[in-house]
Amino acid sequence: MAVSAPDETLEVAGSTKVKRPFSRRRFKQGLTGYLFALPWLIGFVVFTLWPMLYSLFTSFTRYNIIGDPRWIGLRNYENIIFNDPSFLRALENTFWMVIVKTPIVIVAALTIAILLNLDVPGARGFRTIVYLPNVLSGVAAIFLWQWILAPNGLFNAGLDLIGVRGPAWFTDPAWTKPGLVVMSTWWIGSQVLIYLASLKGIPKSLYEAAEIDGANGWAKTRYITLPMLSPTTFFLVVTSIIGTFQIFETAFIIAGAAGRDVALGGPGQSLLFYVFYLYNRAFGKVGAGGLQMGYASALAWILFVIILIVTLVQLWLARRWVHYETDGR
Amino acid sequence: MGVTVRKWAWRRPVAALAAALLVLSALPMGTAQDGQIPLNPEVSGDIEFWHFWGSPVRRNGIRRVVAQCQAELPNITVTETFKPFGDIWTANIAAVAARSGMPDVIVADRLQLPRDAADGIYQSLGDLAAADGVEPSAFWDFTWQQTLYEGETYGLPFETDVRVLFYNKNVLAEAGLDPENPPATWEELWAAADALDVWNDDGTLARMAFFPLYGNVGADLWAMSNGHEFVVDGQPVVDDPAMAETLEWMKRWIDRYGGWAETQRFLAQYGAAPNDAFMAGGVVMKVDVAGYNSILNFYRPRAMLADGSTPNMDWGVSLPPHNGTPATWSGGFTLSIPSGAENPEAAWEFIKCAASRPGQVSWARDTYSIPSDISAARDPVLMADPAWGFFIDAMEVGVNVPFVPEYSNWIEQLNQRLESVWTDAATVEDALSSAQQEIASVIEQNR
Repeated sequence: MAVSAPDETLEVAGSTKVKRPFSRRRFKQGLTGYLFALPWLIGFVVFTLWPMLYSLFTSFTRYNIIGDPRWIGLRNYENIIFNDPSFLRALENTFWMVIVKTPIVIVAALTIAILLNLDVPGARGFRTIVYLPNVLSGVAAIFLWQWILAPNGLFNAGLDLIGVRGPAWFTDPAWTKPGLVVMSTWWIGSQVLIYLASLKGIPKSLYEAAEIDGANGWAKTRYITLPMLSPTTFFLVVTSIIGTFQIFETAFIIAGAAGRDVALGGPGQSLLFYVFYLYNRAFGKVGAGGLQMGYASALAWILFVIILIVTLVQLWLARRWVHYETDGR
Repeated sequence: MGVTVRKWAWRRPVAALAAALLVLSALPMGTAQDGQIPLNPEVSGDIEFWHFWGSPVRRNGIRRVVAQCQAELPNITVTETFKPFGDIWTANIAAVAARSGMPDVIVADRLQLPRDAADGIYQSLGDLAAADGVEPSAFWDFTWQQTLYEGETYGLPFETDVRVLFYNKNVLAEAGLDPENPPATWEELWAAADALDVWNDDGTLARMAFFPLYGNVGADLWAMSNGHEFVVDGQPVVDDPAMAETLEWMKRWIDRYGGWAETQRFLAQYGAAPNDAFMAGGVVMKVDVAGYNSILNFYRPRAMLADGSTPNMDWGVSLPPHNGTPATWSGGFTLSIPSGAENPEAAWEFIKCAASRPGQVSWARDTYSIPSDISAARDPVLMADPAWGFFIDAMEVGVNVPFVPEYSNWIEQLNQRLESVWTDAATVEDALSSAQQEIASVIEQNR
């Protein structure tokens, strides 16, 4: 028997509200749905939502993980923004990577994807080779690159062959971040695959129409390929920037090479990226002696706001350069 | 034939036994002689012991100490677990925070112990030490002082070290220098390098006499040997003329060998022992802890001479060259009990055993670490090695840098800026000035 709930209303087409009779069947369906989603919901609440809310709380406290948090209001935020040169150094290093690495990775991935999209013999083999680094363990690959970029490593040996004296990549503060960028171009398999899938999805009719109009290869790339790929480029730029803001393990391993204290943030603090600094504040020794979970939580929330702003700016800018086939832009 | 038993003959051994028991009962429980803190062998339990000594020399050394203590404490089972140096304390903090999974005994960094004690990572051992009559004067004073937080000890000093200059006597003799009188001052060091450096025909470096940053050494030791005092009236000092002069001197060495990139390129050819730059002949003199002697003994390297011969290396030890103030400094570790550990009684018995004279002597024989127990450090077995007496004498010029509670790790601010100086990205003055400012800022935040 259906029982109607007097206050249950449904908004339909504008401001008209009509009563929706309570349906036991619909209730059961809803309940079943929630029950199926429950394992994920529990995981989300326990392992994501609760820690996030708790970190928001601890960001207003002095908290060393072991004792009880002590409320200090906005003092962590004040200290970070006004009294912490390491915070500024970490921001500077992180923005350097975002600004330099993102375009290089995107352009490299796009170029390789376009080349792989050419119908040449052995293209499948090349695709496999490009993606291969992504299936290797990240830490093992970083150790491999430390060897390749050692002052007398493979990369510098190659430079020697063309008469260039290579730098001390991971021990010279001026060359540590360029070294990471060189490394990151090795890991563009995922971006290349996404671009490749998008390239395959561009209707051939567009190229045929352009050819009839007399367009050459560059014109087709400029006026068909790039605009049609712009949603993919937008997605890759947004995810690459967010990923770069969160760079940690490469810096952590390289900064700790040869027995160095990772708390130093690499040579001349040149590898002190934002999340790495956050880790040092939470578990390490730098700054005021580590074990500052309250301070680290405040750093995390500031990073959240920074990424949010950067992403919103990108969404706003996207209106000017991202073209969707369906919306006529 | 019958056997004749003399009447009352059995009484004599029994009386002797009774007398012996009487004398023994007057002693504290356990074995008090030979520098052993009294143990209570009745205590039982399983304990887990975390350390970071994974090399063949040290792993065997710590296993020997554990085996000794197992024999002394038959009711306790010790499981020794190796944790990498970079992870051991972070893993312990995570376990203490989670109130589960921490070891019963851990090797703790003595220089950071008061800070860690303040954070509640370790249990106070003050009451246990007082109850068992642990005598602070048994240890080198600085090792004991560094275990204290608010007057209570948070770990028994287990080992310490001392930084000395190791030099290749064969190469010194070959270059016409006196192998028994290595450079004692900065000036002599620079002059000796003129005779010891070797350059290839293409202008690249083939052998480096000495590099102030190669080995277990940093700007801090060189500053001390230039008379710099790091903590004055409880405040860290990094921006002063002696410190600036030290960095300028170190920079001169870097420039001597072609700049930072070239020195890194040269040193990158070498790895860990037995392929390190000293053993493989790339560097003639290096500063390292006394424990490096055990590594040299283990690998017995050969000297690479200009005539192509490779005799067994004859190495010597001396104080680090100085600029007016002979100095060295000692780090080291304690055995501590993390907060929340399940079996502190058994853990304490193991700590007493390992940190007492027999345990420390055993460890020192294997590793050449300096025992924190003074009598153990002067044990005749250890003193039998001619180099050992020198290590103990070197302790006399050791500098103890006071603990700064508001910012225990202030030296990081200096170390973070060094590469910028070495690569000319920052001047010495700017680096020291900004380090000093940031130290002051952090101390102010923490007050």
